[in-house]
Amino acid sequence: MRSQIPRPVQTLIWLFAAFFLMTSMASSQSLSVQPLNLLGSIPPADWEAYRSRFVEDNGRVVDTANGNISHSEGQGYGLLLALAAADRRSFEQIWNFTFTELLIRDDGLAAWKWDPAGKPRVTDRNNATDGDLLIAYALAKAGAAWQEPRYTTAAQKLAKAIGKSTFSRSGRSLVLLPGAHGFGAGDRPDGPVVNLSYWVFETFPVLAALAPEYEWNRVWRDGVMLLQQATSGRIRLPADWLSLQNGLQPQPADGFPPEFGYNSLRIPLYLLRAGMTDMEWLRALKQRWSAENEGVAVVNVMTGQVREQLTDQGYAILPAALACALDGTPVPEPLKTFEPSLYYPSTLYLLAKSLLGEKYPQCV
Amino acid sequence: MRLVGSAITIAVAILGFAAIAQQTGSGTNQPPAQSPPPTPAANGSQPQVDESALRYFASQGDTRRVNAEIARLRALYPNWTPPSDLSQLSGGAAAAAPDPLIERLWNLYREDRIAEVRAAIAERQTSDPNWKAPEELVAALETVEARRRLTNASDTGQWRTVLQVATEAPSLLTCVNVDVLWRVAEAFARTDQPNRTRDVYTYLLQNCANPGERLATLQKALTLLPEQQVTALLQFERKTGESPDDFSSIRDELARRRVERASLDSKMTASAEDLTVVERLIQNTNESGPVLILGWYNYHHGNPARALELFKTALDRNAGAKAAEGYAMSLRALERISEAEAFAYEWRERAPENMKIYLDVATALLSQDPPPRLEPQVLTRIVPVVTAQRFSDAAQALGWYSYNTQQIRTARDWFRTALSWKADDEASAYGLALTTQRLNDRAGFNAVVAQWRSRSQRIADLADGINPPSGRQPAATPPIAAQAPMAQAVESTPLPVQPRLVPRQATVEQVETEQTFSRTEDNVRRRQTQARSALGRSCAMTRNPAGLSGDSALTRGWCLMEINRPMEAVAAFDQAIATGSSRTREEAAYGKSLAYLRKNLTSEAAIAAAEAPQTRERRVELGASILTQRALAAYRDGRYVETLLALSERARIVPEQNDLLLIRGWSYLKLGRYGDAEKVFRAVQQTGYSEEAAAGLNAIREVTGQMRY
Repeated sequence: MRSQIPRPVQTLIWLFAAFFLMTSMASSQSLSVQPLNLLGSIPPADWEAYRSRFVEDNGRVVDTANGNISHSEGQGYGLLLALAAADRRSFEQIWNFTFTELLIRDDGLAAWKWDPAGKPRVTDRNNATDGDLLIAYALAKAGAAWQEPRYTTAAQKLAKAIGKSTFSRSGRSLVLLPGAHGFGAGDRPDGPVVNLSYWVFETFPVLAALAPEYEWNRVWRDGVMLLQQATSGRIRLPADWLSLQNGLQPQPADGFPPEFGYNSLRIPLYLLRAGMTDMEWLRALKQRWSAENEGVAVVNVMTGQVREQLTDQGYAILPAALACALDGTPVPEPLKTFEPSLYYPSTLYLLAKSLLGEKYPQCV
Repeated sequence: MRLVGSAITIAVAILGFAAIAQQTGSGTNQPPAQSPPPTPAANGSQPQVDESALRYFASQGDTRRVNAEIARLRALYPNWTPPSDLSQLSGGAAAAAPDPLIERLWNLYREDRIAEVRAAIAERQTSDPNWKAPEELVAALETVEARRRLTNASDTGQWRTVLQVATEAPSLLTCVNVDVLWRVAEAFARTDQPNRTRDVYTYLLQNCANPGERLATLQKALTLLPEQQVTALLQFERKTGESPDDFSSIRDELARRRVERASLDSKMTASAEDLTVVERLIQNTNESGPVLILGWYNYHHGNPARALELFKTALDRNAGAKAAEGYAMSLRALERISEAEAFAYEWRERAPENMKIYLDVATALLSQDPPPRLEPQVLTRIVPVVTAQRFSDAAQALGWYSYNTQQIRTARDWFRTALSWKADDEASAYGLALTTQRLNDRAGFNAVVAQWRSRSQRIADLADGINPPSGRQPAATPPIAAQAPMAQAVESTPLPVQPRLVPRQATVEQVETEQTFSRTEDNVRRRQTQARSALGRSCAMTRNPAGLSGDSALTRGWCLMEINRPMEAVAAFDQAIATGSSRTREEAAYGKSLAYLRKNLTSEAAIAAAEAPQTRERRVELGASILTQRALAAYRDGRYVETLLALSERARIVPEQNDLLLIRGWSYLKLGRYGDAEKVFRAVQQTGYSEEAAAGLNAIREVTGQMRY
């Protein structure tokens, strides 16, 4: 492993500035902070391949690798991809399921887990905050794109619920709790526990506009800071689940493997989608993920040991997107054609492809 | 949704009001909402049907589909009649050409494919921004979506969502959706607004016609509302009409609950009507619930005899531990203490309550005044339980029992044990002081006095030589009063088998030999034969022994024994006990015991043996026989620990014969005590009973061989 020179302070200042400049056209020198347009960024054929495999007629997005359950995250991704594919029909369908089956909590958040074999089928009524963010964000973008006030209204309600129930103080930071219950300082001995991949950065400015009474930009900023803290160790990878009990240094949370795993590998994708390409950590990650090194893998963040290599197209496109965004490297030919396999990597693939199609057409 | 009448509107107002009130946090302070006006039954019997599709087709002038929809609705709701205003609807839009998409949408709607309807509408709007879905369809979709969300929210306990959805979609709150009304009612109850719950049920009972749903409404009310409010809802029972209500099961349940409440509280009485209801429930079902309730009611209201019967019934209905507890408590209340002890012993492991009643009953048994003559096996089974449970009251009672039966060392040990379990037990300390004094155990006496003289006047008095204990009687009033010397019991009662506590108490009556037993058996045989020859055939004729003299009754008893009719012999012996001389009484009691033994009624035999003083010889013989029977019965039932206990008790009185030694060996074997089993079988083998013993030894080899393998 090469040693890297971290530039956290410098980056932080830049990011801080970037956020405030985001809505202003003055930031034209940095194309990356412009929000995504989404609409039409996924080719219809790719979307159709995805939709026909993972979306049922009732609008349920099926996690084919997890006993065909559904979750709020999957519904959120489904909405986002349908919007990116400009498929209003499917968007409405997926929204209908999300609305009637998951958006039933007293606090206005979505129940996260739905099992066709369960009774009731909501088998865990707790929420998953990334799912809530994705749903609210997709609704907000769709409401604007299609001039549909029903979506905007629902997005706003959900944004307020997220701000109310999942923003939590931790020392001097304001963090995003992964769920409204069970992760706070009072809920578990090593609490608060967070998951950095739940910060879907691109959603923050959009939802901040809908629920300005909550401190979105502070949560966004503190998330970036946490990410820098969590990637400052020898291995330079954050564990999926982090305990913030020791305020200065995030530690792998109890009861979870201390791994950079399926959750965290989304973080670079979210950073790229939010246009936060200047984060130094992305270069380190690109290096690690490059073909000469270990590639995309589940890695023990304490030892650096690789537990599992992830070779599916949906994971392989992540380093390709990094290389494109950071160095302008074209995406390799084999990755240009969508070959859907399981729900999760297929989703990551389309999210990456949607980004590349909109922001980096020269790479594809 | 125009069909729904004024009652719905009012109900909606109630619910809307209540739900909003709930959300603003002021629900419970609001005055109760106005009750809807009584609605004629005719209105209520009209099912409220979703006519939105029908009305839409009518407005489009699509007669074919109107007819198809009417047919479909008629099939669903036989009592439904099509609205009369359909023809008026068809006028306006008749000119417009029917839109094939609309028909497809309604079809999807009917198939409950709501997401697809929504999707198709969205798709159409994408291509044709000016296109609008029919209002009826949108309203129908919103209603279905609301119902789904409400149902899902209720299934996951999200009660505020339930109320919010109901407030936003009042069209759901109709008799077509009784399930929704129930869920809303529950949401009110779960958010502490029982009056709103009652309002929903009231609305439902005043307006909805289905008798099954009406009854179910009251059943739900029973689980969610205070009984007063449930009782108030009974006024809506419809006694006339096509399908009258039958709410009697609700009334019964309310009565049952009232009796149940009174059943555990002797200060609360149930009305005769309520008690009759519970009696009827007992007659009409096989359930044990009402039986238990009435059992406890009688127990706590001064009728233990009836309680006993009821608990017996409950036991027969497999009510288990709770019934057993009541049964034992009733026996105790009836002062049938030794029965209570025997019964409670069998159930002691079933639940903590059963263990408690066993310990209480055992303590009561030991503490009777005058001290009872207890069978050795009763004591043997009490002791290990008391020890295991560390129950100090019973330990103290064992102390007094031992004291009063002149087993002073044992008594001292028990008092000491009781104190070790309950350090502040003054009565046990007093017992310990008395016994140490009697035993001249100066160190022990001084120790207890030193610890207690400041806290106990009577212990201080003992130390000061005031009112010294007079030999066999405790000087004060311990939990048991033991005023009379217990000569009978002393001699025949072996001490509790508790080596740790009574190391030296295997001292009682170990002089008898097997000879004694066989000699008395010979005596019995001779006595029976004599009687038989004296009476000839006449004893075989069933005859009431009442009126016979003591001696005649005795002879008749032996004769009946000879022809093996022991239960009739018992009656004859009873007559002899009632009328005979003391010698006759003794022999009759002895005969009666033997008769019971022949029927394997060991506890009755034990009681019979106590009915008249017996010679020591006979006491030993009867004791040994009873224990033999107990051991064999226990062995037959596979209760090997009890088999061994009985055999050990018996071995204390008379030497163990080879056949019983074999039983002992097999019991050890069954319990996995292979070493003990082997010792016993080897001992038997050496006395010449080799074949049986060899079988046992082979069995051990087989088992242990397998185990090693």
